[in-house]
Amino acid sequence: MQESLIHLIEVATWSGFAALGFGILFNIPRSAMVTVFCLGFLGGFIKFLLTEFELNIIIATFIAVIGIAIISIPLAHKIHHPPVIFCVPPVIPMIPGYFAYKTVLSIMNFIFIETNLDKRIELIDAIYSNGFTMVFILISIAVGISLPMLILRKTTVKNI
Amino acid sequence: MANSKELIKTTDLLLEIASILMVSGANTIRINSNIDRFVEVLNYKASCFISHKSIVMTVYTENDLESCTRVKNIPPYAINFSIISAISKLSWEASNENWSLNEIAQAINSIKKSKRYPRIIILLAVSIAGAGFCNIFKGDYINMLIAFISTFTGLFILQTAHQKHFNLYFRIFLASFIASFIASLGVVYDIGANPVAALVTSILFLVPGVPLINSFTDLLDSNIINGLVRFTTGLMIVLAIAMGLFLTLLIFQLN
Repeated sequence: MQESLIHLIEVATWSGFAALGFGILFNIPRSAMVTVFCLGFLGGFIKFLLTEFELNIIIATFIAVIGIAIISIPLAHKIHHPPVIFCVPPVIPMIPGYFAYKTVLSIMNFIFIETNLDKRIELIDAIYSNGFTMVFILISIAVGISLPMLILRKTTVKNI
Repeated sequence: MANSKELIKTTDLLLEIASILMVSGANTIRINSNIDRFVEVLNYKASCFISHKSIVMTVYTENDLESCTRVKNIPPYAINFSIISAISKLSWEASNENWSLNEIAQAINSIKKSKRYPRIIILLAVSIAGAGFCNIFKGDYINMLIAFISTFTGLFILQTAHQKHFNLYFRIFLASFIASFIASLGVVYDIGANPVAALVTSILFLVPGVPLINSFTDLLDSNIINGLVRFTTGLMIVLAIAMGLFLTLLIFQLN
């Protein structure tokens, strides 16, 4: 239990660093850096905690992204930057790179290498399951980040 | 006559603001709301059509007697969140303190001159982010080092190609190919506990997160054309990354 908690914190810290790195690539203001790191940490923590309890990775990502987006709205008011600046860099570490890699790898094997019919059917299964998981994670990231902002936009962040 | 000159100046300034926001990676809703705030301070009304390569804007007076329509081409894209934040703050200040046209123009000019972080800091930060990714995907510290090196080289190539004005998709293909090439050396020689993690994460710094997220934000607010344009841009970038990875996998015959 304790071991997995330490592992969880280690992974979450690294997702904080990943968020900060992307923040610097996107040229975030210096005063937003600590917040971006903390939100990256929080997002990673929520996501990996939920996947630890064997929740589907798509739903886990969605909940983590919504969490980041909702928290970033009051933060934006407090630190005086628009909420986009806080919520875009922390969700970048959740991009489904592994599934994208698996999809490309299976497509390549399917087209160029594999000739055995049974293995080809397995590859079709791999292409579809990995590809659609990737697409749905991307959609859940995009929707999760835009939804809280769009719903609360009508009252504008300043007046909350 | 003096009045119409001022109208043209206002339109140009608003177009400038819209194009800076677009280049910096703001979504269409944000651009429109910022423009509305500025235009209210200057006692005009504005309607605009924003697309990927150009902006059309009409600025008109309350009684509709005078209007000015202009088109502006958008320069190459470079995501910059500091500028988005600065312009958003400026728009609030301007509307609270009732700024004049010249004051706003001056402030915009000084925002435009603000610098990015130095190249070496960006390189190091993104490489650390790549190493962090590798840890997330269950790599050990040796894999993280490989991910760090390949991300660093890939981003360096990307920036150099950018300075040489290569085509956007070609330079992403190049960066993706070189980064994954270096990382797959780790897979071939079986370095570390999980060398595939380094290969997977070496190309993640290229992922078009901002265009894709903006595209959905735009689509959800019924800016369908802009949403589709951004989505297509993101998709083309993903395709270029996949092509680079594809070539590496083919060269090393990994499966």
